[in-house]
Amino acid sequence: MNSINRVVVRAENVSKVVPTAEGELTILAGVNLEINAGESLAIVGASGSGKTTLLGILAGLDAPSSGAVALDDAVITDMDEEQRARVRGRCVGFVFQSFQLLGSLTALENVMLPVELRGERTAEDDARALLAKVGLGDRTSHYPRQLSGGEQQRVAIARAFASKPTVLFADEPTGNLDTATGERVIDLLFELNREFGTTLVLVTHDSRLAERCDRSIEISGGRLL
Amino acid sequence: MAARLAWRDWRSGELVLLSAALIIAVGTVTAISLFVDRLHQALLLESANLLAADRYISSSAEIPQAFRDAAAAQGLDMADVMVFPSMIFAGEDKNQLVSVKAAGEGYPLRGKLIVADAPFARGTPTTELPARGEVWLDSRLFPALGVALGDQVEVGMHTLTVTQVLVNEPDRGGSFFDMGPRLLMHLDDVPATEVVQPGSRLSYRLLLRGESDVLDGLKETLPLEPNFRWVGIQDASPRIGNALDRGESFLLLGGLLGVLLAGVAVALSAHRYAQRHYDHVGVLKTLGATPGDVLWGFLALLLIVGLVSVLVGLAAGALMHLAIVEALSAMIPVQLPLPSFRPFLVGSATGLICALAFAMPPLVHLRHISPMRVIRRDLGPTEVSQFVTYGAAAAGSLALLIWYSESLVLTLWTLLGTLGVLLVFGGLAMLMLRTSRVVGMQAASIWRLALSALQRRHRESTAQIMIFGLAMMLLSVLFLLRTALLDEWRTQIPENTPNHFVLNIAPDEVEAFDTLVATASDQRGGTYPIVRGRVVAVNDVSVKSMREAQEAAGDQSDGPRLGGERNLTWSIEAPEDNAIVAGEWWAPDDPRPQVSLEDEYALERGLALGDELTVDVGGVEVKAIVTSLRKLDWESMRPNFFIIFSPNVLDDFPATYMTSFYLPREGKRFLNELLGRFPTVTVLEVDAIIEQVQSIVDRVTQAVELVLSLVVVSGCLVLLASIQASKDARMREHALVRTLGGTRRLIRGSLAIEFAALGLMAGIVAVVGAEVTVSVLQTQVFELSNRLHPELWLTVPVLGALLIAAVGLLGTRQVVSSPPMMVLRGL
Repeated sequence: MNSINRVVVRAENVSKVVPTAEGELTILAGVNLEINAGESLAIVGASGSGKTTLLGILAGLDAPSSGAVALDDAVITDMDEEQRARVRGRCVGFVFQSFQLLGSLTALENVMLPVELRGERTAEDDARALLAKVGLGDRTSHYPRQLSGGEQQRVAIARAFASKPTVLFADEPTGNLDTATGERVIDLLFELNREFGTTLVLVTHDSRLAERCDRSIEISGGRLL
Repeated sequence: MAARLAWRDWRSGELVLLSAALIIAVGTVTAISLFVDRLHQALLLESANLLAADRYISSSAEIPQAFRDAAAAQGLDMADVMVFPSMIFAGEDKNQLVSVKAAGEGYPLRGKLIVADAPFARGTPTTELPARGEVWLDSRLFPALGVALGDQVEVGMHTLTVTQVLVNEPDRGGSFFDMGPRLLMHLDDVPATEVVQPGSRLSYRLLLRGESDVLDGLKETLPLEPNFRWVGIQDASPRIGNALDRGESFLLLGGLLGVLLAGVAVALSAHRYAQRHYDHVGVLKTLGATPGDVLWGFLALLLIVGLVSVLVGLAAGALMHLAIVEALSAMIPVQLPLPSFRPFLVGSATGLICALAFAMPPLVHLRHISPMRVIRRDLGPTEVSQFVTYGAAAAGSLALLIWYSESLVLTLWTLLGTLGVLLVFGGLAMLMLRTSRVVGMQAASIWRLALSALQRRHRESTAQIMIFGLAMMLLSVLFLLRTALLDEWRTQIPENTPNHFVLNIAPDEVEAFDTLVATASDQRGGTYPIVRGRVVAVNDVSVKSMREAQEAAGDQSDGPRLGGERNLTWSIEAPEDNAIVAGEWWAPDDPRPQVSLEDEYALERGLALGDELTVDVGGVEVKAIVTSLRKLDWESMRPNFFIIFSPNVLDDFPATYMTSFYLPREGKRFLNELLGRFPTVTVLEVDAIIEQVQSIVDRVTQAVELVLSLVVVSGCLVLLASIQASKDARMREHALVRTLGGTRRLIRGSLAIEFAALGLMAGIVAVVGAEVTVSVLQTQVFELSNRLHPELWLTVPVLGALLIAAVGLLGTRQVVSSPPMMVLRGL
């Protein structure tokens, strides 16, 4: 599909340093990275290697200490939180390890949320279709606490695709799920990814998941290997 | 968007506590304000009854027409009254000195005249006045004059017909010389009596009725000085004025503390609401919500919730106040006037300010939540924002308190006390909890699990101790002040205070008189000889030349003068309620001529210990040295004297005697027997005044009790909100303990101990804080004497422990009863 080699995520010399009681701690050091449109990329590494921090910075959830990040041609490191939020709303989707559904909203309302935030009116029909697609067409009015982990993650995936994002970031999407459920969730993720032509960036330490991606990079001690 | 957010949060129960806190804040304040407002109006009316007007102008000279014109121009209602003593005659040989009141149309402007068809009957209110040619007489005058209804009496040169028995008049009190038995007649009959002659003792009054501010405005414009006295309730009866002032201060303080407590509850629940939405906001932000979206979304939500809560709160407050009025209707015999609009305004403003100052800051700070929180859960709002939060709450409270109490002094003292206590004890509690920090959760024993939980959450525990402590402190303060006020009022006019004064008892009658009074009354005041005399010289310098010297020095001050004729007495013992403040009372056998002066009397006239006074008694001069100064309670309703001599100075002068005794209402007939036996004595009845004072004090007391109970409700709400605020952390921890094998008993026990410990420490904070605050408030605001309250030192901490443990266990039932899995997944 989107086979033209357009770069949608670009990181240049990205570093992240945080102050701690024992002095400065370098979490990321001079990371350079380009991700093409339609590509699926796995970021792997041990716990504490900095992969989740990198994901957060690439997605514009966090700002680097130095370096630049461009997302869909927008240099998000030059932006304030207000502007970054707009970029996120326009072209980024997320799937988290801990699902992060809003407990006070039903499955349907959770999926409608990103479109509602953009102020579009078609939210409900689209959301119902997406929920049907992830196999939860009959659970639309259920609250997250009434759903199993796998079901919650499927709602989260439906929510991630609801805004038709350019890039989908996933942080350990199967981390809280058993193997079989994890498999089904991953199948669903890749299936929708293909269907929507989304760029997929996921952080995982699950080697089988990493193998299914087009490309895989390893991070250790804050540096790409 | 915000409406949908609000609706969803409401549906899921997230907003219930915040909304409940707001509703209760608004409801409590509205109910207190409504009730106080109506009660205040009722009390004002009732106290106005004591004047038969809202204000009056009194003078020994006729009230100028210009005054009437000015009052009429302001739209005030007026009535004229004249009071004078006169000897009246009936039949051939009966006569009696009476106090005549001649009233013009409109009298009384406040309160009602009570009349009856027979002497000593209970009587009924009337709106009439005696018609021209008629008089109404005090019950006592019927036997004294030997008249019946329809008979005639002579007042001066005029003959009038007795048509009613006058049982009571609203302004029966007044000055002492106005206290003979009453004859009420029409003002227009006065000229015909020809009693108004140069030199007659007349008192003219112009009664006024209208709005307070209009009256105060009028007072400013009239040339009152030096001949016309402007009289309000404070001037006419300082005792009632004081009771009213203090009662109102207390009600305000109570309402104010209620507001503060409700504010704390609102802040706590808003804080909890915000905390539970950190993830929510994180997710919204990853989905593209800008900080602005978050800010306006939650502000709009707060606005919606605030508006709805204020409306519900106003309605709840109105209902609550109706319930109170209904419940107290038996105790409140007066018809309450309709409430003004202000209470609803106060309620709405309270809701608004509570929402702005207490609920908004935590919600505003939600926009600072980093979207990274969805990945890293430890990211909360920054520290700086917390200071802003507390700052906003403090500013909000201050604004609310000052506006509500309209008293900077009261507000500042309350806030200072509160702040001081919070700082000192917050630090102390923190220190206490930190020093003995233990390692691990110590889940092996109930006690250690509880104590380790307290320490692990030492920040939250400190906050809770302070909040519980604050709530309990405010309640204690209110309770102590209430008790002090009630005690003060009760001791001011004890039961069976002498309510009849008798003057002009001849020396040879004293014994027989005492014997007769003893048959009807067992409560007696002292018996004092009275000689009339005036001070003519101080240290051999004549008062006249002192005055001339003063005038020559250009001193135009018309301050208190020496030289007027006064009642003088002598006594071996000092009167029991007089306190010697300087010098010493004479020994019984001390032969030197000495005199004791009232403290302020001496001060105002420049007299001091050691001065020699020369007193003229019926043309004979006597001298005595000032050897003591006394303080006396002018409100004690006992005979009081400025000047008391030692026994050997005035012994030789012809004296009459005065005394006082208590007579219950149903024993009033005894006065006839008394006056029959001793026709020359003068009886002054002050029982009506005392009853009026007591009824007003009772009314204020009820209001005080009521406000206390409403504030207790607010206090309980704070406790609940505070426990709710820490529920999540507790639930997660205890669910974990249970997952790991802890029994329900362990958890319930540890929770009970944890809460009891919190309550105990909070109780200690509360007691110390209350003692400090009360002592300041008592001395600075209420002008009561100060003392410590050891009876609270144990009670409050123990009550605190029990109460917090009970409320805490009730509030965390879920922690114990819901399956751990549900708890862990729900959070």
